[in-house]
Amino acid sequence: MQSWRRKSLWLALSASWLLVLLRVFPLLRLAVPGGPWASAPQGWPRWLDAELLQSFSPPGELPEDALQLPHAPRGGSCNWEACFDVSKCGAGGLKVFVHPVAGPLSAAHRRILASIESSRYHSASPDEACLLLFLSLEVPAGECSPLPQQWNGGRNHLVLGLHPAPCPQNFQLGQAMVAKASPTVDTFRPGFDVALPLLPEAHPLRGGAPGQLRQHSPHPGVPLLALAEERGGWRTAGTDPSVCPWDGRCEQDRGPEKTHPEGALPNATFCLIPGHHPDALHFLQALQAGCIPVLLSPRWELPFSEVIDWTKAAIVADKRLPLQVLAALQEMPPTRVLALRQQTQFLWDAYFSSVEKVVHTTLEIIQDRIFGASAHPSLLWNSPPGALLALPIFSTSPSDFPFYYLQLGSHPVGRFSALIWVGAPGQPPLKLIQAVAGSQHCAQILVLWSSEKPPPPRWPETAVPLTVMDGQRKVSDRFVPHRAISTDAILSLDAHSSLTTSEVDFAFLVWQSFPERMVGFLTWNHFWDEAQGSWGYTAERANEFSMVLTSAAFYHRYYHTLFTHTLPKALRTLADEAPTCVDILMNFLVAAVTKLPPIKVPYGKQHLEARPPLVPGGREPPPAARDCINQMAAGFGYMPLVSSRLRLDPVLFKDPVSVLRKKYRSLEKP
Amino acid sequence: MCASVKYNIRGPALIPRMKTKHRIYYVSLFSIVLLGLIATGMFQFWPHSIESSSDWSVEKRSVRDVPVVRLPADSPVPERGDLSCRMHTCFDVYRCGFNPKNKIKVYIYSLKKYVDELGVPVSNTISREYNELLTAISDSDYYTDDISRACLFVPSIDVLNQNTLRIKETAQALAQLSSPRRYFLLSSQMAIHPEYREDLEALQARHGESVLVLDKCSNLSEGVRSVRTRCHKHQVFDYPQVLQEATFCVVLRGARLGQAVLSDVLHAGCVPVVIADSYVLPFSEVLDWKRASVVVPEEKMSEVYSILQSIPQRQIEEMQRQARWFWEAYFQSIKAIALATLQIINDRIYPYAALSYEEWNDPPTVKWGSVSNPLFLPLIPPQSQGFTAIVLTYDRVESLFRVITEVSKVPSLSKLLVVWNNQNKNPPEESLWPKIRVPLKVVRTAENKLSNRFFPYDEIETEAVLAIDDDIIMLTSDELQFGYEVWREFPDRLVGYPGRLHLWDHEMNKWKYESEWTNEVSMVLTGAAFYHKYFNYLYTYKMPGDIKNWVDAHMNCEDIAMNFLVANVTGKAVIKVTPRKKFKCPECTAIDGLSLDQTHMVERSECINKFASVFGTMPLKVVEHRADPVLYKDDFPEKLKSFPNIGSL
Repeated sequence: MQSWRRKSLWLALSASWLLVLLRVFPLLRLAVPGGPWASAPQGWPRWLDAELLQSFSPPGELPEDALQLPHAPRGGSCNWEACFDVSKCGAGGLKVFVHPVAGPLSAAHRRILASIESSRYHSASPDEACLLLFLSLEVPAGECSPLPQQWNGGRNHLVLGLHPAPCPQNFQLGQAMVAKASPTVDTFRPGFDVALPLLPEAHPLRGGAPGQLRQHSPHPGVPLLALAEERGGWRTAGTDPSVCPWDGRCEQDRGPEKTHPEGALPNATFCLIPGHHPDALHFLQALQAGCIPVLLSPRWELPFSEVIDWTKAAIVADKRLPLQVLAALQEMPPTRVLALRQQTQFLWDAYFSSVEKVVHTTLEIIQDRIFGASAHPSLLWNSPPGALLALPIFSTSPSDFPFYYLQLGSHPVGRFSALIWVGAPGQPPLKLIQAVAGSQHCAQILVLWSSEKPPPPRWPETAVPLTVMDGQRKVSDRFVPHRAISTDAILSLDAHSSLTTSEVDFAFLVWQSFPERMVGFLTWNHFWDEAQGSWGYTAERANEFSMVLTSAAFYHRYYHTLFTHTLPKALRTLADEAPTCVDILMNFLVAAVTKLPPIKVPYGKQHLEARPPLVPGGREPPPAARDCINQMAAGFGYMPLVSSRLRLDPVLFKDPVSVLRKKYRSLEKP
Repeated sequence: MCASVKYNIRGPALIPRMKTKHRIYYVSLFSIVLLGLIATGMFQFWPHSIESSSDWSVEKRSVRDVPVVRLPADSPVPERGDLSCRMHTCFDVYRCGFNPKNKIKVYIYSLKKYVDELGVPVSNTISREYNELLTAISDSDYYTDDISRACLFVPSIDVLNQNTLRIKETAQALAQLSSPRRYFLLSSQMAIHPEYREDLEALQARHGESVLVLDKCSNLSEGVRSVRTRCHKHQVFDYPQVLQEATFCVVLRGARLGQAVLSDVLHAGCVPVVIADSYVLPFSEVLDWKRASVVVPEEKMSEVYSILQSIPQRQIEEMQRQARWFWEAYFQSIKAIALATLQIINDRIYPYAALSYEEWNDPPTVKWGSVSNPLFLPLIPPQSQGFTAIVLTYDRVESLFRVITEVSKVPSLSKLLVVWNNQNKNPPEESLWPKIRVPLKVVRTAENKLSNRFFPYDEIETEAVLAIDDDIIMLTSDELQFGYEVWREFPDRLVGYPGRLHLWDHEMNKWKYESEWTNEVSMVLTGAAFYHKYFNYLYTYKMPGDIKNWVDAHMNCEDIAMNFLVANVTGKAVIKVTPRKKFKCPECTAIDGLSLDQTHMVERSECINKFASVFGTMPLKVVEHRADPVLYKDDFPEKLKSFPNIGSL
């Protein structure tokens, strides 16, 4: 009996426990937030008859395509298809005629004219041209320069105004495109007009000041934010930006603060630029300084927004959420800051640093519209070296260029073409052909016969195909993009060059690691001659070098296209007149594109003794050639050459180990 | 809980041994408990479900049961959509407010049936597609059921088909919701407009077999009109299957500019050729249609054939791949379309957290293979910046002081940082440290970990970092200075002295570490190496998988991990400078036996295999070159060379 009572008691206890638990459990479920049992947000209901619902356009009911066809808007608001006549543009790309301007020209306009006239776009007759350019002049307010005679309602016209010269009679422009600085978003016609940057008065014509960025990542201790001031100049808040958000409303305890005078570039990680109009100038300053522009609801169109992906270089945020933007800037991961900073510099150098670049970018954008499917892909516009230096006439596939292998995850083709230029003496370089053909990486040998003497009828038997091409007796002829070149890599050679097979092999392997640079054996160095106040260069062996001789060098075949199509004619003529100039010109070109020095690989001493002196008359270049480097520098607008202090050798080069271990032992022959 | 479980287990075993009276008692007790349980359950859940069914958010309901709302004829019509609307002017961002996750919140209005005064429904209650669309939104991260937290509102009024839409009444219905709106326009095109037919037929006349003009089938018997066929003259084709056979498919302008044809074309893997002026391609704000389509102005329709022929084959293949990717990623299902749309709006509201061009446009194969170098700008830092040397030390004070003295002779050194990794011992007093010309700082660490060497200390002010062990005293000042000069030319790489190599062991089928005299290099030792300080940040915060902890636990291979990390993120090889092969000091005798050397090799090989599996690939790049001074071992007067004191092994 006792046990019965005990058991029943125990049972009652457990039963009541069970009840309590049952009551408490759901409460617990509510108390634990976000747990697996927490009630999920009640979404859109799962209809029982969801399967039975009708489709929005049931198959039985055909939406007859109406006869009232919507038409593209014409007239008032122009777009590219409606207002530009592409049929006038031939296959040669964009040809531009500039309407002669009546009256005195300002210095700025003379510079624009000069840059167009020396470019590949220029055409001397309005009938050949497919784009007619009309410079909008700075005139006293209220007056407008008279329209040119062949105005034709503005069709195929581009009205270019680098400086905001508000000509009120916009209605006159008809079907013309307008390229002007910082247009407001209300009047800008996307895909038709071109937004230009607002350039300062004294913007250089060519070259231009390089970006101010000296290091990739922001220096620790540099202020986070600089603010554009109304009257020009910048104000940097202290390193702790939370002390003062913008508006200048927090006059007290703003922390250390500096005001920079007008014209000085900001030194901060981010540059805050309010959205209204006059601040477009600040935008360019920030870009040059490598300070990431933060734009709050800009009322103006960002320059070249048609092609430039500004999200990679600037932050455009809503001015109505300033605190949120501030928090986002403070918490921005270093990786993003690093990428944005570098992109500002790349864009500045590629498109904005000179008047010439701005004008050429404008024309290139219009050419891209004409080209349609064969225009620059977005990658070419938005990564170094930029669309002005990556020509779509070479290829529209980025993997054909030497610059994008990493981004595309591809590699240069593993073989090279040897291009041997035979000049005046006209001796077939038999020994050289054998040495080069012996390389396992050699795909073909091309002999460019530029001598007066006819080429010999018989050539040595080689393992690779040998083609003899007839040259035009001009030195620059060797850098023409010959169709016969079938590989990415070119080994450029002279008839009197002397190389061994293993030198060729090693240099080619090095080139594969640096496909955008030139890899050469013999080097020159440039220097600034204080006494003469000019540039000079020397072939003396020195601890530094900045050029490699193209008489024996590997480089990408794209540089042939670039050499022929982008260099001003004057520079190419100069190179034809003085043969040493062609080496300098090619080195200038590659350095201007890569912003890096070339690469030197070891070169056997035996060649140096065997070959004739590099430059007639000894180690010092003749005055004519000396002059050449200065003319090149003037033509480029700056000195692009960069010096290097290293040479790339095989890993075991001249190490005291058994030669049998070494792959390139013949490189070490005394 | 425990008690009751126990009881339940024992219960059945007890019952048979009990007397009948007791059993009845037990049974009744059990039924009481059971009743209580049921009652509790009813109490807990029943009323709740009644409540929510009135709220129309219960799980399963029928569309036919939705509440009916009668629209009076004079109910307000909202203003016409303002064509000049911009994100900045017509969108109320304040509602989106601060959101640490940078995600917008979307609210969906509950479904109602709108009828006009006569009781005629204004529109279809909801179509299958619109239901799918709303379901997709509600399943996504964007959805919220709290109207006060939402910043984007989606009406449940179906506006997909403009043909069946009664515009005025729908607008009135929308006005009742009074919220920002979005429409999804979809319509389908069947027939070719006569205006274009002429042009296209002329085109076909010229190019014969290679052009196929498909039109609505007119010769089919009544009632069999089907969307699934198209005709050319009297030939009937299955549509859209026929598209798969073409390379290019022309998309013409239809009654509505939103083209169902476009999605048929993409689905078939055909490259769309858009001949419809001022047609805004879907998602063109973020998708680069130039990569997947050809846009031809209507004026140049007659030249379409020659335009297409001028496109090189490689570009065509690229376009086909791209078109297929766009279809799969953004147009394949209603869900994909809905998510892409919300992502675009999200990108507009939180531009600093927006997806990049590459994230939107690059197909996964490209994304996987491509490397975006974090230091992509070709930039040679000025020499004046100098470098910071970081010496990791435990307690070898004497050796440490020698290293400090040696390194301080390097001209470009700008700061020296000693990382004191011994928690049990204090660093020597300040007066005992060698006096050097640059600032010297000692950092004490909380734990003796190898990864402390790669921590991004605030004290590092230069971009260039020299990591150096506290026993590396054999490097000459020339060697270090030259190493720094080389780093300036390759700031995105690891620049070190002794090189090492990884090899594939075909017998064991795994990677092997190699330190012998090889002609190739794929790693450098970080016992002394220059690199960019950003890699310290990556090592500490972005190292994939458990590598960082693994290295700390094994007290080995931190240098291999660094080599993997840098090669993986930049896609570039290391630079080995000068002939140096080992860090062995000349005075030290061979205390390390051969066996020790071998276990070391095995451990290092294990590291390579472990890291390769974590990275999912072998990022290391093998090269056959090293960097020497220009005149190294050249026949040239030694005293004129910049770095004469280089060359020992």
